[in-house]
Amino acid sequence: MSTSPSDPVTEVAALYFDGRSARAHTVTLGVTDGVLHVAGGEIARREPLAALRVSEPMGDAARLISFADGAHLEVRDHAALARLLAATGHRDAAVVRWAFEPRMVVIMLSALLLSVWLMMQYGLPWAARVSAPRVPDGAMTALSERTLEWLDQALTRPTTLPPARQQALREALSSVASVDGQPIAHTLLFRSGGQLGANAFALPDGTLIVTDELVALAGADAPVLAVLTHELGHVQQRHGVRMLLQGSATALLMTWYLGDISSLLATAPTALVQAGYSRDMEREADDFAVKLLRARGQSPELLAGMLEKLAAAHGEGQASRSGPMGWLSSHPDTAERIARLRSEDFIIH
Amino acid sequence: MKNPFEHAPADAAGGNPFAADAPVPQRERISFSGRGTEYFGIWIVNLVLTLLTLGIYSAWAKVRRLQYFYRHTTLGGAAFDYHGDPRAILKGRIIGFMLLLAYNVSFQFSIIAGIAVAVALAAVMPVLLMRSLRFRAHYSSWRGLRFGFDGSTGGAYSVFLKWPVFSVLTLYLLGPMWHQRMKAYQFNHARFGSARFAIDAPVGAYYRIYGAAIAVVLVGMAAIGALLGTLADGNPAVFALAPLLFILLLLFVQPYLSARLQNLVWNHMQLDGHRFESTVSARRLYVIMLTNLIGVVCTLGLFLPFAAIRLARYRLQSVTMLCAGPLDDFIAGQAQDAAATGEEAADLFDVDIAL
Repeated sequence: MSTSPSDPVTEVAALYFDGRSARAHTVTLGVTDGVLHVAGGEIARREPLAALRVSEPMGDAARLISFADGAHLEVRDHAALARLLAATGHRDAAVVRWAFEPRMVVIMLSALLLSVWLMMQYGLPWAARVSAPRVPDGAMTALSERTLEWLDQALTRPTTLPPARQQALREALSSVASVDGQPIAHTLLFRSGGQLGANAFALPDGTLIVTDELVALAGADAPVLAVLTHELGHVQQRHGVRMLLQGSATALLMTWYLGDISSLLATAPTALVQAGYSRDMEREADDFAVKLLRARGQSPELLAGMLEKLAAAHGEGQASRSGPMGWLSSHPDTAERIARLRSEDFIIH
Repeated sequence: MKNPFEHAPADAAGGNPFAADAPVPQRERISFSGRGTEYFGIWIVNLVLTLLTLGIYSAWAKVRRLQYFYRHTTLGGAAFDYHGDPRAILKGRIIGFMLLLAYNVSFQFSIIAGIAVAVALAAVMPVLLMRSLRFRAHYSSWRGLRFGFDGSTGGAYSVFLKWPVFSVLTLYLLGPMWHQRMKAYQFNHARFGSARFAIDAPVGAYYRIYGAAIAVVLVGMAAIGALLGTLADGNPAVFALAPLLFILLLLFVQPYLSARLQNLVWNHMQLDGHRFESTVSARRLYVIMLTNLIGVVCTLGLFLPFAAIRLARYRLQSVTMLCAGPLDDFIAGQAQDAAATGEEAADLFDVDIAL
């Protein structure tokens, strides 16, 4: 098949197909003065190079030279074809050459790891932060209502807190809930926590839910308010929506990357990435709470002390439960947060 | 499988299929020459460019990926080729993405909006699937001749809407029949040049395959239940293992299903009197898929291109064409000569949904 490498006249063996029948014609091809000539058996064709298209190289696979009328040549003598193409000045697209150069493959691999890291670390959180304020209020309300509905059905029960105490806490929160003179829209709801125990959370539309158990655990109003300012931080910074956007984007990426293998495989990394984002958001909400507490001349210690109590309360609960709730907790490293709230950073500013 | 060339001269198999006086070939095995190390380069370049262009390059990446697999697939000394236009694929992907987005977002607003979008999707999906079959066939070729697909819109609604609904309503009792109708639609309307494909796999065979798979799943679930019941012994935490064991069970059944179904489909396929033989072994496929999975998990996905090559090689090389005459005899279909077909096909949607 192949011509000897020293042969200056490059003649390449190929199969010719006319595009009208499946018949294969054994031919040889060569180039003179910018014109390709094909000859063999009944076939004799001359065609200017400009009218032809050469397929990308793909390892050992045949390369195809296509004519405008649908005919094509299949060439498997790669060495001879390479010499012919070099003589005509043909150069493959850079993207195609990269795929077959080990050095470029290593560079690409590094670029991949770097860009995935950058995207997860900065890109997605940034995109979510920018687009979260653009999510229509209607969507946030609908989302929150459905979440509340689900909570009430599956986990929580009606509160047993006296109405007077509820009213006092609501009024106290309203007086705190403003940043830079702007009030933060919110609704405070009370529920009996059931298996959630002492807990508080924020829904994207500004609904704050605090459990009777947390109020009991706190003893006084001030620590409850400290926790609620943290939850207000989640509302103010739109953490719920940001989390949802980041989560959907991560899941989409993972499904696309691993989807061929199994959609189950794709959910595990998504959960891990989410846990990382959640930690950052807890810190942001802590910062916000500290800002509000300071504005009223109160100490971050109120929140730190409350976190300690909560961690202790849940620590006991988890030992007996030992379910998956333990390691999927959205407040992963409470000890770290408590230490941070008590650290120098917060005392200085 | 009856071989029509049982009495052909013994030397026929080794002959050069391209010599002018070549004897009639009898068995042509599909061969696949793709290599993991080679495809890894294509895969990584595709992946990086797709990420950097926020997904836009994925259409070009898809064309390059398919070209790699097609051109490394050889039958009767000639390779397959893929001619899809990345711009048409990009358009299809944008449409697909929009539909998915509309579906996911609408339920956040109201149940009614969600249902409306779901109904609209159900109405468009069959047409999109039919067009994607057409796109894929029209842009695939072998020996310079294009494949083709001319299934009707009515047929698409039947197999992609009516039958799925039937099989859900009967708790999937009609599921295997749906699968049979789908394969019939897919192949009875497929062409190579002017030659037509035809499939005559009986519905009973689909029921046997699915029946065996379901039996294995049921027995496996009973075994898992019994095992966990003994292990738990008052400690309910052990039941957290149940989903994991169930996944392992499904991983065990999936290769069986895909091996048997591939064999069923290709052993009942005809192309103008030519027949095919597929001999995928469920056990070997299981070993390949399991080791692929382990490789992918251990390398955080970097083994994916190697896994794809291994799977394609085994599945493709298990297929042999039993030729009823010289392969040179195929001729182009009428549609192929019309330049207009190319233009019309250029705005078809390519929605890549595996069937």
